[in-house]
Amino acid sequence: MKTSMWLDLFLFTIAILWEPVLSDLVLSKVERRIDLTSQIVRITSTIKVENTGSDVVSEVLLAFPDSQASHLAYLAAFLNEGKGKVKVPASSFHVEVVHPKDMPPSLTFYSVSLPKGLGKGEILTLDVLSVYTHALQPFPEKITQAEIQLVLFQESAHFLSPYAVKVQSLSIKLPHARIESYTRMENTKIHGSEIKYGPYENVPPYSYSPIAIHFESNQPFAVAQELVREIEISHWGNVQVTEHYSLVHDGAQSKGEFSRLDYQARPYARGASAFRRLVAKLPPRAYSVYYRDEIGNISTSNLWGDTKKTELEIEPRYPIFGGWRTTFSIGYGLPLRDFLFQLDGKRFLNFSFGCPINEVVIDTLIVKVVLPEGSKDISASVPFPVKQWQETKFSHLDVVGRPVVVLEKTNVVPEHNQHFQVYYKFNSLSMLMEPLMLISGFFFLFVSCIVYMHADLSISKSSASYLSKLQWEEVLATIQQVQNIINRCLPIHDKLEASLRDLSRTGDVQACKAARKSADSLLKELSKELKLLVAFLQSSLQASQILPKVEELVARERELQERLMVKHSTVVDCYEKKSGGREIENRVASHQQKITALKLEVDDLLEFIDEI
Amino acid sequence: MAPIPITSPVPATWYPTLSVFTLAIGLVITASFFIYEATSSRRTRSLAKELATGAVASVFLGFGTLFLLLASGVYV
Repeated sequence: MKTSMWLDLFLFTIAILWEPVLSDLVLSKVERRIDLTSQIVRITSTIKVENTGSDVVSEVLLAFPDSQASHLAYLAAFLNEGKGKVKVPASSFHVEVVHPKDMPPSLTFYSVSLPKGLGKGEILTLDVLSVYTHALQPFPEKITQAEIQLVLFQESAHFLSPYAVKVQSLSIKLPHARIESYTRMENTKIHGSEIKYGPYENVPPYSYSPIAIHFESNQPFAVAQELVREIEISHWGNVQVTEHYSLVHDGAQSKGEFSRLDYQARPYARGASAFRRLVAKLPPRAYSVYYRDEIGNISTSNLWGDTKKTELEIEPRYPIFGGWRTTFSIGYGLPLRDFLFQLDGKRFLNFSFGCPINEVVIDTLIVKVVLPEGSKDISASVPFPVKQWQETKFSHLDVVGRPVVVLEKTNVVPEHNQHFQVYYKFNSLSMLMEPLMLISGFFFLFVSCIVYMHADLSISKSSASYLSKLQWEEVLATIQQVQNIINRCLPIHDKLEASLRDLSRTGDVQACKAARKSADSLLKELSKELKLLVAFLQSSLQASQILPKVEELVARERELQERLMVKHSTVVDCYEKKSGGREIENRVASHQQKITALKLEVDDLLEFIDEI
Repeated sequence: MAPIPITSPVPATWYPTLSVFTLAIGLVITASFFIYEATSSRRTRSLAKELATGAVASVFLGFGTLFLLLASGVYV
């Protein structure tokens, strides 16, 4: 307190001694409104700039004492297009830090560049929004549970500027009408929770008259010392956001003991400075929302949503008093089409930068954008300066890892909730990497099964049991081949019968004969093969038990063949001799009976062999 | 040229159905593969048939597992 008072005095002295340097510009009217209703201090200044010199001026300087500049989180200047019109943020000016020569020390200068320039006698009205964090100093620094939180705010009643100011006024908005003390000057008015200084007229450049306001503020002083936001893109239809908070109450420290009973009985009197819930405003259509910490899920949360937004109300495990801290994570999924776009062969993510929780100050914000594996030519575009670098992250089904764009910014306020873009190139075929990995995994499993089934794992290759097993397998394979051949014979038999039916319908004897010939040659070939197999079975000891059955099967099949042939030739003969239908039937009847019986027998034998 | 929103190749609401069907087909083919392995003897087995069945089964099982992961919220 004391040092800052000395500093103020020092500045005041400078202000008197310093010769105006940039006297071409004059601020004809300055109106400042300071909003102290939350922990974030927002100062909106409406400045009417007038060029009294003859040269065109292209920049306006804004001065901040170093003690204030270190708390400055956000600074923007807009063109004020007159009353009644809505301010368009698009017409904002470029603002940057400058270090002009011959300026008093302990001041930081920002230059607002005017693209059109300001000619002689012209007037321009600027709206300057500056946002400060940690600018409210709790006083006393330690309070008990029952006490209210008082904070101290220091400013200058005069607008600190390198230019002379003709008319100026200052109004300060407080959260409550309860004010402990404030600096009284001439023209000071108090209106409920609003204090007004001014108007003051014809103030010289660099004039500084310190004021201090000591007032009650029980707003949540929620400060995220570190917030890590991880935005993971999956081209399979999802943007997954995970936010890790490490939150602290940055107001007056809590001293003495904490009574949960008192707090629960009268939360507004015993714990006025504490906060128990926070509201996060998530994008619309958020799903799979969770809120958890190291222990597990925290059940005290509510979620509701409409087409414009999704609201998540979270309640930490305990009320957060001054100096208390808590860590937790929230996560949610978002549909891909709302945030990922394609433009000129490049894909880009369009996402909001800051934290979704209302009125939270973030000391260090780290935004990590995890792009899909195989992304190339990555670049990020952020509307304000940030530190950025790249990392690699390994997640589900990754081979080379996913590229991660990391953006880091300190001192972040809700005004930084602007959209940023991450551009990258991606080939859609790279999406098939993940299923291909799964497929190859399964295929490896099948191949190992095949190898296992094909491999011969017995240790002694010469033992009697192993050899007999091998022989038995050979026998089984031979029998299966026999079966196959018989099964190929049977359709040929059917074909012969069919040719007979055709004959009775068309009377084409030649066709029928040809059919018999081809069937005969086929059957002969098959019977040759059969002979070889049967010979093998006869030579094998292991087959001795089944051999009779197999031989019987082969014999019956042969008999069946012969009978069929005889029947076939008889019928064809009869047709050639033009015998009557009845005669044919008489001559064939005996064969037919035999054939049916044989067919049954062959079927039975096949079934029997099948069971082995 | 206005930016075009990017969507997933398959609508996300189809994932559960797709995963059920592809996994069912995959498991049936897997079953037939193992039945073939168990019933055929070493001499009558055909390597080409085994590999073909295994390949088809792994394609279905692979995509089925992918869709199952996506349907259960593990976006790979």
